[in-house]
Amino acid sequence: MRPVAISVDAPEISRDLSNKAGYSFTILSDPNAEVIRRYDLLHVRGGPDGHDIARPAEFLVDSSKVVRWVNFTEDIRVRAKADEMLAAAKGLPES
Amino acid sequence: MRREWKQDEKSELFHNVDLPFTRHEVVRFDSGTLRADMQDVIERPSISAVWWGFALALSAMLCNMAFFIQPPAQQSIPWLSLSLALVALVFVGKGLWQVFAPPRIRRGRILGSILSIFSLLLVAVAVFTFFSARALPRSASAPQVGQKAPDFTLADTTGRPVSLDQLFAPAADGNSPKAVLLIFYRGYW
Repeated sequence: MRPVAISVDAPEISRDLSNKAGYSFTILSDPNAEVIRRYDLLHVRGGPDGHDIARPAEFLVDSSKVVRWVNFTEDIRVRAKADEMLAAAKGLPES
Repeated sequence: MRREWKQDEKSELFHNVDLPFTRHEVVRFDSGTLRADMQDVIERPSISAVWWGFALALSAMLCNMAFFIQPPAQQSIPWLSLSLALVALVFVGKGLWQVFAPPRIRRGRILGSILSIFSLLLVAVAVFTFFSARALPRSASAPQVGQKAPDFTLADTTGRPVSLDQLFAPAADGNSPKAVLLIFYRGYW
């Protein structure tokens, strides 16, 4: 399973974050929130200074690009459990 | 110990709040029925309810720290925080009533008031945080299980465009990922 993080942060900001935190996974930038809108995750003025951002959500997508598991947090402070994601990923057939 | 109290002794006895004996001992004296206001004078006013309210309000706020240690049943932490805040409100109300409602004497009003104000502030922050953390869009049209994930092409940290298809490309070890986990996050970290 390949984790890919997406936010409105610019590539430079994501690169800093990735370096500081030692992340090895891919981080993509959606500065105009186009893809965020496509996935209907836009949180209007949800960010600091009233910027539009994504609401937190995770999608597990298989190799045929079908969604196999989703997580929409009700509370931004509650993080998705890693074990839930892994269980969903384990249930997928080998590609 | 039984003793007949003379009237003037009684009034002198209850003039000062700091009495050498407890209320319970006074009641045992064979002094006739104590008047209601004398009983209130003897009783030591306590602002323990306000202290409890403050402790509960503080706990409601500290619940937010719990998210960082990622305990099990994380989803219940916001509700615990809200419940603690509301119970704190009840205790603060009770405490203020104890201190201010007649015919209590003036004891603990200043400390009680200060603690109450702090507690109410903490409660307000806890309640506000609860609601603002949940003020999220409905996302009714977001792809659900079984639906196709919309295609996209976005820049990675080096500025290179990456498409959803490319995310499934083989990695350095030659294996393709059997799934991709798209993690949309708020950003502005």
